[in-house]
Amino acid sequence: MAKGFKALLDREYVVLDGAMGTMLQAAGMKIGEIPELLNIENPQLLISIHEKYLNAGADIIYTNTFGANSYKLLDCGYSVEELVSAGVENAKKAVQNVKPEALVALDIGPIGQLLEPTGTLCFEEAYEMYAEIVEAGSKAGADVIVFETMTDLLDIKSAVLAAKEHSSLPIMCTMTFESTMRTFTGCMIPSMALTLKGLDVDALGVNCSLGPKELEPVIEELSRWTDKPIIVKPNAGLPDPKTNEYNVTAVQFAEYMKDLRKYGIKIFGGCCGTNPEFIEELSNMLKINGNKVIKQKTIIPAAVCSATKAVSVTEPRIIGERINPTGKKLFKEALIKGDIDYILNQALEQVQAGADILDVNVGLPGIDEKEMMVTVVKSLQSIVDVPLQIDSTIPEVLDAALRIYNGKPIVNSVNGEEESLNTILPLVKKYGAAVVGLTLDKNGIPKKAKDRFAIAKKIVDRAAQFGIPREDVYIDCLTLTASAEQEGVVETLKAVNMVKTELGLKTVLGVSNISFGLPNRVLVNHIFLTMALENGLDLPIINPNIEEMTGAVRAFKLLKGYDENSVDFIAHYAGKTFSKIVMDSPKAAGNVNTDDTGNAVLNSAEGINLEGEQLKLYNAVLSGLKKEGADYTKKLLEQVDSMEVINKVLIPALDKIGDDFEKGILFLPQLIMSASVAQSAFEVIKNHMANSNAAPVSKGKIVIATVKGDVHDIGKNIVKVLLENYGYEVIDLGKDVPYQKVVDAIVEHDAKLVGLSALMTTTLVSMKETIQLIHDNHLDCKIMVGGAVLTPEYAKEIHADFYSKDAKESVDIAKKVLG
Amino acid sequence: MTENIKLEELNRKEALRYLGYSGDTLDSTVKQLMDICEEKVLVLAKPRYIYKVCHIMTTESEINENHGISIEGCNLVLTGNSIEKHLKGCDMAVLMAVTLSDSIDRLIRVTQVEDMAKAVIVDSLASVAIEQVCDKVEHIIRKTYPNKYQTFRFGIGYGDLPILLQKDFLNVLEAPKRIGLNVNASCMLTPTKSVTAIIGLSDNPIEKTARGCQTCNMREQCNIRQKGGHCNG
Repeated sequence: MAKGFKALLDREYVVLDGAMGTMLQAAGMKIGEIPELLNIENPQLLISIHEKYLNAGADIIYTNTFGANSYKLLDCGYSVEELVSAGVENAKKAVQNVKPEALVALDIGPIGQLLEPTGTLCFEEAYEMYAEIVEAGSKAGADVIVFETMTDLLDIKSAVLAAKEHSSLPIMCTMTFESTMRTFTGCMIPSMALTLKGLDVDALGVNCSLGPKELEPVIEELSRWTDKPIIVKPNAGLPDPKTNEYNVTAVQFAEYMKDLRKYGIKIFGGCCGTNPEFIEELSNMLKINGNKVIKQKTIIPAAVCSATKAVSVTEPRIIGERINPTGKKLFKEALIKGDIDYILNQALEQVQAGADILDVNVGLPGIDEKEMMVTVVKSLQSIVDVPLQIDSTIPEVLDAALRIYNGKPIVNSVNGEEESLNTILPLVKKYGAAVVGLTLDKNGIPKKAKDRFAIAKKIVDRAAQFGIPREDVYIDCLTLTASAEQEGVVETLKAVNMVKTELGLKTVLGVSNISFGLPNRVLVNHIFLTMALENGLDLPIINPNIEEMTGAVRAFKLLKGYDENSVDFIAHYAGKTFSKIVMDSPKAAGNVNTDDTGNAVLNSAEGINLEGEQLKLYNAVLSGLKKEGADYTKKLLEQVDSMEVINKVLIPALDKIGDDFEKGILFLPQLIMSASVAQSAFEVIKNHMANSNAAPVSKGKIVIATVKGDVHDIGKNIVKVLLENYGYEVIDLGKDVPYQKVVDAIVEHDAKLVGLSALMTTTLVSMKETIQLIHDNHLDCKIMVGGAVLTPEYAKEIHADFYSKDAKESVDIAKKVLG
Repeated sequence: MTENIKLEELNRKEALRYLGYSGDTLDSTVKQLMDICEEKVLVLAKPRYIYKVCHIMTTESEINENHGISIEGCNLVLTGNSIEKHLKGCDMAVLMAVTLSDSIDRLIRVTQVEDMAKAVIVDSLASVAIEQVCDKVEHIIRKTYPNKYQTFRFGIGYGDLPILLQKDFLNVLEAPKRIGLNVNASCMLTPTKSVTAIIGLSDNPIEKTARGCQTCNMREQCNIRQKGGHCNG
C-alpha cells in the first residue's frame, strides 16, 4: 500500500482529517479518560467520526491511537495491540464504507513522559514502545504511519527508527512549535527539517499549538529548510483560557490556509478544535483554488545540527578538537575513571572560546569505547547546543552514537578504502549524518594533490550511490607535518582548493599537525590555518582555546565579508559576547583585600600555625578565591610535597569552612565556593602528580548515585564536590540509576562507602530497593543516604548505615568510614 | 487568548532563605553571583501555565458516593481529608499547572558542571521564580473571577492528597500537549521547576485555614522549621 501514499503525493494537494479528541468530547467522553478504549467499547462512534471526515473530503484519516502506548495504557484492561488493531480496523471500515481510495494513517503521539536528560525515559525504552505500536498497526493494515504533536527531536528520532526497523510503511512526521519558533523542549525548525530529512521520512511538518494564522512564520521558516512534502495541521485558532473554546471558524480557517499555500504545502489538515465542517471548507477551498502555487526551488545549505542549534557550513566554522585522549594524560585518566565532568568541562571551555562544532573521540585501549561514547554523547548533548562530530574508527561505536544523537551530526570518518566505504557510508545514510571523507586509501596518503582529489571524487561518488547528498560529504585533504614533508604543505592546500572549486564540496582539515616538531607551533599553525582558509577550507579542526587560532578564523570571516558589518568581530573583541553558554566569573572579592601591587593582603588565620604560601592558600580557600588557590598551590608544590599541602592546608581549611557552615556563619554557596577552591588546588596537585608519575591522591573510593526514578540530583552533586575536595575518589553514577548499576559499581571499584540520594517520597522506594540489593549481595560496603524527605528513622528502617542531613555531614561520615 | 507571564525580578530574599542564609549583609562575592544567576534565570525561564475552572462535587453524600471530591466533566477524583477540608464551601475549583520549562533544567545542568556554587543559587532562584509565576497565575484567575473568593494553592501531594494523582491531573489539563509539562514514573514533574495545584473558588468568604507546618509533609525534615522559621508554603 506504500504505493498509495506515494501516488497521493503526486497530486496537487492532499487533505487530512481534523481533530479526534474534540469529536469524542463532543460525543460525551470525559476529559482525562483514555480515548482509545472507545475503539473496542464503542467502535460505531469511531467509524461514524471517520466517515464524517471522509465525506468532508479527507484523503487520509488518522486512527484513534494517539496515546495507544504501553505507558498511557497501563492497567487499562486492554493491550496495546488490541486497541491499536481495533483503531485501525475502525478506520478501515469507514474507508470501505465511504471512500475506498482513502488511506488509513496509524496515528502515534508522544509517550507522555519526557526523555532523558530532563525526564527519566531513555531512548531505548521510547523506541520499544513505539515499535510495539508500529508492529500492531502495520499488522492491522494501516497504509502510512504518522507521528504527531512531537516536541522532542530525540523522541521523534526514536519513533522514526522504530517505524523504519519494524515496518516498510511510509512515514509522516509533524512536530508542535510555539510562536517562539521552537518546541517546548527548544527544538528549532531547521533542526527538525535537517534531522528528519536525514532519517528520510516521506513528509514532514507541523501540527497543533497554534492556529493557521499564527503558524505562518513557522511554515515560512520550514519551507526554507526542506524539500520534503510539507504537512500543516493547525488548531482552530487559540483556545480561550476560560472556556477552552477555539477562536477561528471553519470559513476563516480555510481562508488562512489558502494564504499558506504559497509556502509550497502539500498536505493540509486540522488539529484541536477542528471538526468535519473545517475539513469540508478546507477541501472546498483547495478544490476551487487549486494548489499550483509556484514555489522557487528550495536550496538547503550544507548544515549539521543539534536539536537546539543548526550550523550551516556556508562560512568557515570551527570544529573543536579537545575531546580526544591522544597525547593527554589527564584526559586518559578521566576516561579510565569515567569522570564525565572532566570531559564536559572541556566541552564548555571550547564552546566559550568559539567552537561551532565539537569533535568527540573517546577511543582508548582498555575501555569499552562504545559504552563510553554513548555516555559522553548523551552527557554532552544535555549541556551544550553545538552539534557534535562523532569520531571513531569502529563502526559499532559510530552506530551506537549516531543512534542516540539528538540532531544531525558529522561522522569522522570514511576514507577511500573499499572496506571503509562499505561499512561507514551505510551508517551515515541510515542515520542521516554528514561525513568526513579522508583522502587516503590502502596505499596511504597520496603525495600529489591530484591523487587526493581523485580519492575525494571516489568518496563522493560512492556516497551518492548510497543516497548521501553531496552537500553532506566534507573532504579532508589531510595535513602533513611541515618539518618532515615540507613540499607536502603546498600539495595539501592545492588539494583543498581543487576539491572546493572543481567538486564543489565542503572541506575539513585538522590543522595542528602541520607544526609538529617545530618551535613556536602556534605561529605556524595559525599562518597555515589562514592559508588553508584562503584556499577554501570550511571546517578547520583546531584547539579553539588558543586565541590566535580562533582569532584567525574571526579575522578571516571579517576580511572576507562573511561577518557582515564586522558585527561578530567587534562583539567579541570589544570585550563582550552575547551568547556565551558559560557565565563570566565574578571578580574575586570578599574577605580578601588587595594592596597596590595587586597581592592579597591576608589576615592572620586564627589558631592555625601556617605561614607564607601555606597561609595564603588557606585563606584563599576560606575566601573562595579559585584562581589564587590554584596559583598558591603551584608555588607550594615547588617547596613541599603534595600530601603536606593536602593535610596541612587544604583539609584544615575545609574543616574550618565546614564548622562555620554548621554554625550558620557561612551558608551553602560559600561552602561550595570554598570547596571549589580546594578542588582547583586538587586539580593542580593531580596534574603535578600525573607529571611526576606519582600515585594519585586518594583517601578511598565512594560510589554515589541518585536512585532510580529520581532526576533531582543537585544535592548529590554538592556532596560529590565536598567529598572530592577532602581527597576522596568519587564514582558518580549520576541520576535515575538502576539498582544493579549501584551494586556493580561497588563491586568494580571495591568501594567501602556508597551514598544514595532521593528527593521524593515516591523514589524512597527505589532507595529501599537499592539498599536491599546491596545487602542481598553481601557487599562489604557502608551505606549513607540523604535527601529532602528522608528522616533518620526512615534511613534506619530501610537499613542504611548512616543518615546524612547535609553535604557537610556526608564528609563526616566518609571520615568515619574511610578515615 | 492566554495572557503571557513575564518575570521582571526575583525575590532574592526568599532564594537566600532556601539556601539557609540568615545573616544581614551579603558578602559581595555571593551578591555578584546572585546578580549573574538572576539574570540567567530571568532570560532562560519560559513560564508556561494552564488552568481549568471546574464545578466540583463537595457535599457529604457526593464525597461518599465518589470516594472523594469529583470534578465535573472529567474523571478525576481528589481523595484525602486535607483536600476535602481545603475545598470546603467551594463550588468550583481551579486546576492549575505551571512550569519554567526545560531551559531551566538545562541551565541547572550546565551550571552544575561549571560551578556548583552557581548551581545551588540558580536552583534556589528557579524555585523562587516558579512560585512567583504561580502568584501571577493566581492573580489572573482573580481578575477572571472577580466575584469569587479564592483559597490558597493546594499542591498535588500536599497533605494526604496522593501524589500518585499527578499523572491524571496533568492529563485532565492536557498539560503535556499544552505546556510541555510531564510526569515520570515516580510522579516527579518534568521539567523539574514546575508546580501543580488546586485552588478552591467560593461565593462566600473563605475561612483562613492555616497553611503551615502543622499539615506540611516536610514537617519533620524541614530545615527552616528547625531553625524556628516557616516558609508560608
